[in-house]
Order: sequence, then C-alpha cells, then structure tokens
Amino acid sequence: MPQSLFAFRKSLDRRTEMVLGVLGFILFLSAWHLTAVSGAIRPEFLPTPLAVAEAFVRLFTERGFAEDIVISVGRVWFAFLLSVAVAVPLGLYMSTYRVVGAILEPFIDFVRYLPVPALVPLLVIWFGVGEASKIAVLWMGTFFQLILLIADDTKRVPAEYVEAGHTLGASNGEIMRHIIIPAALPNMIDNLRITLGWCWTYLIIAEIVAANSGIGHVIWSLRRFVKTPEVMAGIIAIGIIGLLTDQAFRYAHRRAFAYLRK
Amino acid sequence: MQNFIEISDISKTYWSADGKTETKVVLPLSMTVAEGEMVMFLGPSGCGKTTLMRMVGGLETPEAGTIALRGERLAGPDRRRGMVFQSYSSFPWLTVRDNIRFGTRYRRDLSKAEKDEITDHYLQMVGLGRYRNFYTNRISGGMRQRVAIARTLASSPDVLLMDEPFGALDAQTREFLQFQLMDINTREKKTTIFVTHDVEEAILLANRIVIFSSRPARVIREIDVDALIPAEDRRAGTADMPTFFDLRAEILKIIREEYKHSLEDA
Ligand SMILES: Nc1ncnc2c1ncn2[C@@H]1O[C@H](COP(=O)(O)OP(=O)(O)OP(=O)(O)O)[C@@H](O)[C@H]1O
Ligand SMILES: [Mg+2]
Repeated sequence: MPQSLFAFRKSLDRRTEMVLGVLGFILFLSAWHLTAVSGAIRPEFLPTPLAVAEAFVRLFTERGFAEDIVISVGRVWFAFLLSVAVAVPLGLYMSTYRVVGAILEPFIDFVRYLPVPALVPLLVIWFGVGEASKIAVLWMGTFFQLILLIADDTKRVPAEYVEAGHTLGASNGEIMRHIIIPAALPNMIDNLRITLGWCWTYLIIAEIVAANSGIGHVIWSLRRFVKTPEVMAGIIAIGIIGLLTDQAFRYAHRRAFAYLRK
Repeated sequence: MQNFIEISDISKTYWSADGKTETKVVLPLSMTVAEGEMVMFLGPSGCGKTTLMRMVGGLETPEAGTIALRGERLAGPDRRRGMVFQSYSSFPWLTVRDNIRFGTRYRRDLSKAEKDEITDHYLQMVGLGRYRNFYTNRISGGMRQRVAIARTLASSPDVLLMDEPFGALDAQTREFLQFQLMDINTREKKTTIFVTHDVEEAILLANRIVIFSSRPARVIREIDVDALIPAEDRRAGTADMPTFFDLRAEILKIIREEYKHSLEDA
C-alpha cells in the first residue's frame, strides 16, 4: 500500500522499517558496485563491494583485526563511562543549584569550543603515548558536551512536577531521585547515545596520531600501502559497530520507556 | 468557627527583568478560612488569584505578612497544603495507579499495606479502576485531572488548593468532576481554596465566595452562599432557581465592573 507508506507524519510498523532500512543499504551497495565496475574510477581508488568484503575477511584472518576491535571498543567505552560518571552528577547539580551553574557554565563553554584535535599534542605531552592519552582525548571530546546536555535535559523537567513533589511532601533529594531523574531520563539516554557516537570520531583521531593498535591505527597503517579495500573495510567496521551500538541503545530505550510509545 | 487558615497582611510585588518596573499583585491582604470550608476565589483575569494561592501553598514567598495554619506560621511548601494545578501534573512515566500511590509515598506514618489501601480507595473514588494500569499519556485530559486530584487527596493534605482545575475541560467532564468534588467534600470535609472563572461552578461548590478586585488584589465582596442556597439543594439540583440566577447576575456584574477598571488602568 504505497499510500500508507507516505502517510504524513505517521509512524510505520517495525517490520516495514526493517525492510526499508535494509533496502537503503542495498541501494547504496548497488550504486557503489555499478560505479566500480563501470571503469569510470580506477580500482585503486574505488574497489568493488565484493573486493572490500574479501579484504574485510582478510583483516580478521591475516591481521588479527578482532583484537584491534576489542581494543578500540574498550577504549571508547572506558572513556565514555568515565565521562558519564562525572558529567551526569555535575550536570544535575548545575541545573539544580544556580551557583554551580554560574561557576561552571562560562568555563565549560570556553573549553567546549576548543577543537579536540588541537588538544592532542598537549595531551600526548601530558600523558605520553600510552592508553592514558587516548582516554584523555575521548574524555575531553565528550565530557564538556555531555555535561551541558544533561543540565539542559534536567532543566526542561516541567516546574509543575517539582512543585507537585514539594506539596506531596518530598524532600529536595527525593524530588531529584523520584521526579527529576525519571522525568529527564529518556532524553538523557538519547544524549548518551549521541555522545557515544562522537567518541568514535575522537578515537580514530587519537589512534591515528599515537597508537600501535586499534581500528584507527590499522586503517592508517594500511593507507601507506594503498590497500584501498582494507582501508574501506576498516571504515566499514566502525560503521557496523556504530550501527549495532545505536540499535542496542534504541532497543533498550524502547523497552525501558514503554510509556513513550505512540 | 476557628481560624484554620489565617492570612495576615500579605503582599507581593513582581519586578520586571531589568528591575525597573514593579507590578503590585497583592497589597496587604488579610483573610481567614475555617476548617472544612470550601472557599471559591473569583476575580478578573490577572488580578493575583494564582499568586495568592501559590503563597498559601508555599510555592511563592510573600514580600511581607504571614500565613498561618492552625496558628502555626507557614513557610515553604509541604504535605499540609496539596496543590492541583490547571495543567495536568500527573507523571507520564507512572501508571494511573502508581501516580495515585505516589501521593502516599512520603507519608512515613503508613505501612505498605495501608498505602495500597488508600491508593485503591482514591482510585475507585475518582472512577479510574479500569484504567489503573494505563500510563497517564494514554488517558483523556479529564481523567488525568482526576488522577492529579486523587494523588493530592492520597497525600492527605490539611488544605486542598485548586487553581482552575477544570478550566481546560469540556462541559460534561467538568460537570461530572464538580459533582465528584462535591461528593468528596461531603465525605471528607476537606478545607479547600478553589480558583475559578466559572461563576456557576463557584456557586455550585462554594460555602463562601470571595471576589477580588482587579490587580492589586483586594477582597471586594464575600458571599456566604450556604446562607442563600442550602448546600443540599445545590447538590440535589433542587436549588431555588430565581435565587441562583440573581446571585449569578450579581457576581457577574461585579466582576465585569472590575474587569473594566483593569482595562482603564492599563
Ligand atoms: N513570575 C511572575 N513574574 C512577574 N509577574 C508575574 C509573575 N506571575 C504573575 N505575574 C503578574 O502578576 C499578576 C497576577 O497574576 P496571577 O497569575 O496571580 O493572576 P490570576 O488572577 O491568577 O489571573 P488568571 O485569572 O488569568 O489566572 C499578573 O499581572 C501577572 O502578569
Ligand atoms: Mg491564575
């Protein structure tokens, strides 16, 4: 029913969404394949999807790519959780006590506008070329954004909810735990999902500049031998991990916040 | 009757953001409310009814003056004064039943079983038993307002503060809830301050009507409705119609005059 597919601002059922999502990938791969076999672009620059798929397998069988993936995923999650652990409580305090917000906001805004790649040399000087500097890059890239997002989510909780809490006899701490956090949680989780995506951007930067392991390192070192299929396979691996993580987040979100379902 | 709530010389001024223009909302104003009494506030829009009620609820601080409950001076908000807001303040992440149960959450004197019992009592009273497991964004506006009322009652406040609670509802739902509130009031004798723009609603529910002037709010008229039309007659729908309509016309005239004043001032 093409009519219901184009229903104005209406949702589609999950099965249809899945089929359409897969279709999007098929369209992309077909266009890529046709361009590659047409000969318009030299294969050193644009290998076929099949060649990339073969390179993908080779990465795992010949280069131990699985280990690099584990290392990269570990770095991302470690830095991300470290960032969440500090940003969430601080964000909550910032939006609850104006004095904390007044102290932190201007400083955070200042740091937030510093481009993270520009900080990499400094962070390497401070933390060396080991794991610490990579974690620091990721943390710097996400923490200052996340704290403002969390503070905004909390501020958007309707004043009536908080006032209702007061008149029902809740203490400030109880209002925070029983009203503000549950009210803001769906938006917070969404913001965590988006921030985790940024982590990957900074991870690749960190791994290209200073690392001898991880996905970014593999991609960068293969570039030197113009192994285009392998380089593309590495990039695609990041996309797949991102897609899976994102879907897992969305799934958990739907399960946890059933009341938001339309 | 004893002075249950005693408002003494409270005043409130709001300042514009640049601190240059002042808006006097309430000039020194005094008023008492007896235990179990249902007082209806009427007055032109913007005269300060909400501000006054929020000060009684502790959600707004008076600039001067005091508010006392049972002779005890009140400050910030607490469980003694329950508030029902005009906008639906039920929590969307909780079901109808859990929203009502939330009202009992901070009553430390109760056991879990007692809380459940109270919850179910009010769930039945507002007629939402069938919707107990619905999230509140899945029910109508009228039902949501019933949830908010039940939640507030479940917290067992000494005073019920209602700011145009039925203002956004359709006529049928509004009438249904008015009668439900009358029922609750006969049963529980809950001291209530109720703000409304609907004169008939005021006459129907009031023990006493207080009419305010245009801003800054002064009491310009108090009407002992019980003395004019017995509460039982109003509940039963057997009130003397000429008396009812005369009263309605009189109140409307006062408010209309005040409204004109407020336009002249502006
Ligand atoms: N937070 C505020 N800051 C500044 N001015 C305010 C604030 N709240 C209310 N006012 C002003 O105070 C006056 C009284 O407002 P209030 O909401 O108490 O009136 P009301 O009688 O409840 O009106 P309505 O019947 O329309 O609800 C209005 O002129 C309004 O503009
Ligand atoms: Mg008002």
